[in-house]
Amino acid sequence: MFRSLSLTTRLTLFFTLAAAAVVFGLALLVIAASERHFIELDHMALQDKQHLIENILARSNSTEDAKWLLREALSHHHGLYVSVHDSKGETLFQSEGFRPPRELPPADESNAKYKLQHWADEGRAFRGMGVRVIPAYDATTRLDILVAMDTAHHTRFMLELRRTLMTYAVVTIVICGVLGWLAAYKGLAPLRAMKSRATTLTSQRLHQRMPVDAVPIEMADLAHELNKMLDRLEDAFTRLSEFSSNLAHELRTPLSNLLTQTQVALATRRDADAYREILASNAEELQRLGRMVSDMLFLAKAERGMMLPNRERFSAAEETHALIEFYEAVAEEKGVRLAQRGEGEIVGDRLMFRRALSNLLSNALHHTPPHGEVTIEISQSSQATRVSVENTGEDIDPKVLPRLFDRFYRADPSRSHPETDGAGLGLAITRAIMQAHGGSISVTSAQGRTRFCLEFPGGT
Amino acid sequence: MKILIVEDEPKTGEYLRQGLSEAGFVVDLAQDGTDGLHLALQGEYDLVILDVMLPGLDGWQILQSLRRRGLQMPVLFLTARDQVEDRVKGLELGADDYLVKPFSFAELLARVRTILRRGRSGNESTVLRVADLELDLLRRRVSRGGRRISLTAKEFGLLELLMRRHGEVLPRSLIASQVWDMNFDSDTNVIEVAIRRLRAKIDEGHEVKLIHTVRGMGYVLEAPEEH
Repeated sequence: MFRSLSLTTRLTLFFTLAAAAVVFGLALLVIAASERHFIELDHMALQDKQHLIENILARSNSTEDAKWLLREALSHHHGLYVSVHDSKGETLFQSEGFRPPRELPPADESNAKYKLQHWADEGRAFRGMGVRVIPAYDATTRLDILVAMDTAHHTRFMLELRRTLMTYAVVTIVICGVLGWLAAYKGLAPLRAMKSRATTLTSQRLHQRMPVDAVPIEMADLAHELNKMLDRLEDAFTRLSEFSSNLAHELRTPLSNLLTQTQVALATRRDADAYREILASNAEELQRLGRMVSDMLFLAKAERGMMLPNRERFSAAEETHALIEFYEAVAEEKGVRLAQRGEGEIVGDRLMFRRALSNLLSNALHHTPPHGEVTIEISQSSQATRVSVENTGEDIDPKVLPRLFDRFYRADPSRSHPETDGAGLGLAITRAIMQAHGGSISVTSAQGRTRFCLEFPGGT
Repeated sequence: MKILIVEDEPKTGEYLRQGLSEAGFVVDLAQDGTDGLHLALQGEYDLVILDVMLPGLDGWQILQSLRRRGLQMPVLFLTARDQVEDRVKGLELGADDYLVKPFSFAELLARVRTILRRGRSGNESTVLRVADLELDLLRRRVSRGGRRISLTAKEFGLLELLMRRHGEVLPRSLIASQVWDMNFDSDTNVIEVAIRRLRAKIDEGHEVKLIHTVRGMGYVLEAPEEH
C-alpha cells in the first residue's frame, strides 16, 4: 500500500507525523508540568493553613477560646475549607457549606502527616489533608484538623490550557503538513523536469539530455549516468539506422541489376547462349546476395552473444600457415610477398580463427600494391596471444580508422567496388569473432604500413 | 539413383526436382511431412532431402521415424536456421549432411554426390585418368599426353579433386573446403586464381581443354566426349 504512494505524499506524511509527535509531546509535557505545579502550590498553601491552625490551637486556653480564635482567623478565607473536631465529637470550627468526607480518615499521626488527598462532593472537587493534634489546654483530648481547597478554578484553568494547546497543536500540524508537501513538491521539481525531458525523448530526437547543472547534487549523478546511457543508445541507434539504410542500399543495387537484366532479357527473343549468359550473371549476383545474407545472419547471431561451438587449444602458427597456403596463389599473381613469423597458442574455435584471420589477409592482399609485402606475426606473452597482419601500402586516414569495423563501411565512399570485393562486412565479422573470444582487434596505419592486430586472452 | 525431396515451399521443391532430375537422378517430391514419411517408407530411396520446417511432421520427426523403423538411407537436411544446436541435433539424430538456405544448387548437387559416393567402396585405383591426363596418386605425378607437369602440393590436391569428380560441376565453396580445409564462405577470388594457374599448366598448348568454368556454378573437369 505504502509503496504505491507517490514520493510527495510519502514525504508529506512523514513531515506531518513528525510534527504531530513533537507538538503533542510538548503539549503533554506542559500539561503534566502545570498539573504538578498546581498540586505543589496547593500543598504549600494547605500546609501554611494547617500550621496556622496548629499555632492557634497551641495558643488557646480552652475550647471556647480556640473556637473564637479559629473563627477570627479563618472565617474570611475564600476557597479554603477547614473543619476541626475533637475526639468527643464537638465541632470547634466548620467552614460554611463544607462537609468533610466521612471516608477520609485523618492522617495517621506518625507518618504521612501532611499527605495530600483528593475527593469530590456534590460535583465539587476538593484537595485537602488532615492531621491529629493535642491542644495545649487539654492533654486528654485529640483534635482532628482537616484543611481543604476547592480545586474548581484549577480544573477550569487546566481545561482552558488543554483546549488552547490542542488547538495550537492541530493548527501547527496542518501548517507543517502543508509546508511539508510544499517542500517535497518543490524539492522533487528536478525529478519532474527529468521526467518531462524523458517524455520528449524519441528515436527521432535522441540528442536530448538530462539537465545535469539544473538538478541538485543527489540527482546530478543519476542525470549524468542517464546521459551516458543516452549517449550509448544514441550511438548504437545511429549506427543501427545507418546500418539498415546501408543494408537497403547494398541490397537494392544487386536486386535492381537482377531485375533490369531479367526484364531486358525477356523483352525480346534470344538464342540459348544469350539466355545462358544472362542466367549465369544472375546466378553470380544472387550468390553475392546469398553470401551477404549469411554474413548478416552471422553478425546478428554474434551480437546476441555468440557461443563458440568448439573450444580447443591450437597452434596459431599452424592455422596461419594453412591460410598462407590458401592465399599463396593470389599473392603470387599480384607479386606480393607473404611472410609468417613467430609462434603462439590460442584457446578458441579453430574455424572462427581462420575466418577472422582470412578476412584480414584478404583485405591486406587487396590493398597491397605490387611488390609489396604482407607479414603475419604471432607473439605470445603471459597475458595474451597476438596475431598481427601488416601490409605495405597507402596509409589509411586516421579519421576513418575507428569506423573500419562498422558494418558496410568502406574507406571509399563512392561504393564503387569490383565484383570480388566483399560487402564490407569482413572486418565487422572479424571483430565479432574477437569479441566472442573475449579478445580485441586494433588497427594502426602510418609510414606506409597498415597493421591489424588480433589479441586473444589467455596466453601461456 | 532415387532421391526423395520433402519440401513445402513449392518453387524450391520444383526447382530441386528439376535440377536433380536433369543431373540424372530419379526424383520424387513430397510437399508435407506426412506424405514425405509415407513415401520414404514405401519407396526405396538412396537419399532423402528433408526440409526441417514442414507442415504435418517436421524434418526431425521424419528422420526419427525412419531410423526407428531401421531405414538407414542417407538424409540431407535443408534449413533456414543457421543454429549450431540445429546442426548438432541433426547430426545426432543421424543426418548425413546439413545445408543452410540460401544455398547454391551446385553446392547441393556436390554434397548429394559426395553422400551417395560414400556408400560405394570403390576399388580405388591409384592412377586417375581423364582423356590424356593422368594423375598418379602414389608417385604424386601428373602428366598430360605423356609429358610431365609439375604441380605444387595444393595444385595437386585441386587436380585430384577435379579428376575424382570429373564431369561434376564443383562450386568454389566445396573446392575451398576440400582442398584447403576452409570451411566458411571465403569472400575472395582465391579459387578463381588457383584454377587459372592450374589451367595454365594443364590446358595451355593443348587443343582439347579439360578444365572449364561454368559461370555462376563453379568449375568442372571433363573430356569433350563426356559432354
